[in-house]
Amino acid sequence: MKRILPLLCAAVLTLSLSGCGQPKECSAEFFAMDTVMRVSAYGNGAAEAVSGISSRVNELEALLSRTRADSEVSALNAAAGERVKTSGDLTALIAAAQEYSAAANGAFDITVAPVVSAWGFTTDTYQVPAQETLDTLLPLVDCQRVLVEQDPDSSDMDDFVTLGSGQSIDLGGIAKGYASDCAEYLLRANGVKSASVYLGGNVYVHGSKPDGTPWRVGVQDPADPNSFIGILSLADSYAITSGGYQRCFKEGGKTYHHIIDPATGYPADSGLVSVTVVAPANRAEEPVPGHGALCDAFSTALFVLGEEQAVTLWHSGTYDFELVLVTEDGRVLVTAGIADRFEQNEESAYRYEIIS
Amino acid sequence: MKSSPKLKWSLWDGLVILAVLALAAACGFRFFPSGAEDTELVAVITIDGQETDRIPLRSFPEEGRSYSHNGYTLRVQASAEPSEEGVSVTESDCPTQDCVHTGVISRSGQSIVCLPARIVIELQGGDGGTDLIIG
Repeated sequence: MKRILPLLCAAVLTLSLSGCGQPKECSAEFFAMDTVMRVSAYGNGAAEAVSGISSRVNELEALLSRTRADSEVSALNAAAGERVKTSGDLTALIAAAQEYSAAANGAFDITVAPVVSAWGFTTDTYQVPAQETLDTLLPLVDCQRVLVEQDPDSSDMDDFVTLGSGQSIDLGGIAKGYASDCAEYLLRANGVKSASVYLGGNVYVHGSKPDGTPWRVGVQDPADPNSFIGILSLADSYAITSGGYQRCFKEGGKTYHHIIDPATGYPADSGLVSVTVVAPANRAEEPVPGHGALCDAFSTALFVLGEEQAVTLWHSGTYDFELVLVTEDGRVLVTAGIADRFEQNEESAYRYEIIS
Repeated sequence: MKSSPKLKWSLWDGLVILAVLALAAACGFRFFPSGAEDTELVAVITIDGQETDRIPLRSFPEEGRSYSHNGYTLRVQASAEPSEEGVSVTESDCPTQDCVHTGVISRSGQSIVCLPARIVIELQGGDGGTDLIIG
């Protein structure tokens, strides 16, 4: 008995430890919205959440893609100014886009679509459009002319959108951000405590890592893809970067990038090389456009606006976000609210400044 | 008061002690595995979301590997030189050539994506120090 008992205790102890170790991971990688997406969730509810997010993203793509002929956006664009009944998702996203556009003095505008098409960015047949073409298209760019009739209580009433004459919209600058808002909602709804969502460079990190430490999000050096300007330590946060270097082409010895300034019809030239916008999780009760959509829209808008106006918007406190800006003259600017969570790359040649 | 009986060690006692120690060691290795295998950079190739290949850079074939999907073919090559360890897509017949233009990736967490082919080459392992990369 004196031998059997300790053996039994040891066996029971071993079995009881089998519940320890890392929480179970569930991951998926899939292609949607013209990019690669990766979702990793841990612990209870992970499988349901990952499956739900994959379905939801594909559902959103079917609604929002301008390049899919059967999408809701394509139908709206083809309606030539007629009043169109629209889904809750599309209506809410257009309304959010209008709000962010107004906040950014028009530097983000979903009606810039015809201009983006003229540059060939939607068909991957890059070209520099003639000035006459841009002169014809620029007057069409004004998202405040889009009439949104949104049912305020999300009850049984229908929503409607009416584009201005000759206008068409492209939600590419906000759709992935909205998808990440939906991902947060699904993670929370399934009781997941730790997850990372990577939607083509739009990141949402849910909770902390399974080991309790913050997620380490590297911000790529625009000048060297194998280097970082720094590493953000984040939990329950959105982080999105926009930069001209992400998509560009050369013609006639000049480089043209894909972030078009709605005011000029030309790639933005504001002195910024990249803009990273960081914002906290929504913790919303409804899957509505939130900080994901905001980070997405603002990363584009602030790239167009430049350092001074970007900092002014941040200072205003109207929206809860932080910034990491890389300037053409070699500085990395970090707003005060994120400075203690940003680890500078000591080996880089950039000059780091904290904006307070 | 009765004095405690004299304890006499026997072979069976020794075997029980060894068994308990062995179980403790096994638990230790199960939950605290050696980190040595995590420091090597590994190229992970996924096609349409499914992992297809997982090759340590040091074992990557010198002539490279070809992967095809969706009607497009990519050639992936690695350099395992300690000073420039990395992987790149050296050739592709896809229309956008974004995968080729990405160049060499050398840090854990970085990836090369060919959207038309739906092929992703990601580096894992090593001591990259990041969980996700944006930019």
